[in-house]
Amino acid sequence: MDLSHYKKAWENQPEEKNKISDIEIYKMTQSKSISIVKWIFIIGILEFIVLNSVAFFVDLDAAHEEYSKIGLKNFIIYSEIIAHIIAAIFVIIFYLNYRSINTVESTKNLMSKILKTRKTVKLYVLFNLVYMFFFMIVVIISVVQTNLESLTSKQMILFVIGFAIFCLIVLVLVWLFYQLLYGILLRKLNKNYKSLSELEVK
Amino acid sequence: MNDFGKNQNIVHKVCRIYTTNQDQHNDLFQEIAIQLWKNYSKFRGDSKFSTWMYRVALNTAISLYRKSTRTVKTQDFSDVGFKIESVDYDDTQDQQLKALYNAIRNLNDIDKALVFLYLEDKPYREIAETLGISEVNARVKMNRAKDKLKKILNP
Repeated sequence: MDLSHYKKAWENQPEEKNKISDIEIYKMTQSKSISIVKWIFIIGILEFIVLNSVAFFVDLDAAHEEYSKIGLKNFIIYSEIIAHIIAAIFVIIFYLNYRSINTVESTKNLMSKILKTRKTVKLYVLFNLVYMFFFMIVVIISVVQTNLESLTSKQMILFVIGFAIFCLIVLVLVWLFYQLLYGILLRKLNKNYKSLSELEVK
Repeated sequence: MNDFGKNQNIVHKVCRIYTTNQDQHNDLFQEIAIQLWKNYSKFRGDSKFSTWMYRVALNTAISLYRKSTRTVKTQDFSDVGFKIESVDYDDTQDQQLKALYNAIRNLNDIDKALVFLYLEDKPYREIAETLGISEVNARVKMNRAKDKLKKILNP
């Protein structure tokens, strides 16, 4: 059967029976949005809060004392300040991204903006991972340096390998967590975006 | 926003093709209402309100709406809170409409939007603008979407 027949059926379809009153619509508009962008924004903020509140749960004074012993006091202070400034900049970007997304644009533009928002979050996570990695490397080197005399070379190698494996596992777990989180949120969107973009490339 | 009340049928149709049960239908309707409300200040009146509504509704369904519709692939039309009760309504058309909705639900999100805009008799210029692709691409994509739809309707 030709599509035009179906089109006619479409045109003749009756209006929705359960019309929603203006008051009900107004009530709806006052409730919370559940959109995907909002979720990305919330996750970004949660991410920021969790990473930054670790400081409250860990006894930092003791840790700082340990760091002083291996000669890293200044490094710790400066690197923490820089990391916090960068994290704050990221949160501002999260917010600006979030604000700039609106449904008035074309579908493709809108999707590309949402995916860009995700990129910012991804970059933030990457920054945190790199920072953690860098931090761990510096600590390992300093520990090795200060204990050069008291440890046998075998102990030293075991310590470095053990620590490296531990770091790697932590980093991979964090990375996997994000892949899963955003993967679930954005799989459909990514597919749709590709579907709209593929023709332009040809 | 009173125009929304008058034109809500457009939104119901979008909800019907992008969701598979009444709860999801209501959720999506609400999300579209929120998006329309939030963006109303950006409606400049240089296009018809209904045209603007098509865009916001489809964008919300395709890009912003989070609930997965993949859990139930096809569902009987009458289960989605939409029953035709008009007396002088032609029964064949009723059957065709049911089949059409079920077929559209089997398309991907973008094809759904294309077919919907075709059924709503929108010109290619407007379809291209809504989706953010060129008119030529809109035509190519539309033909493919229609072919897919025909295959589902006439296997």
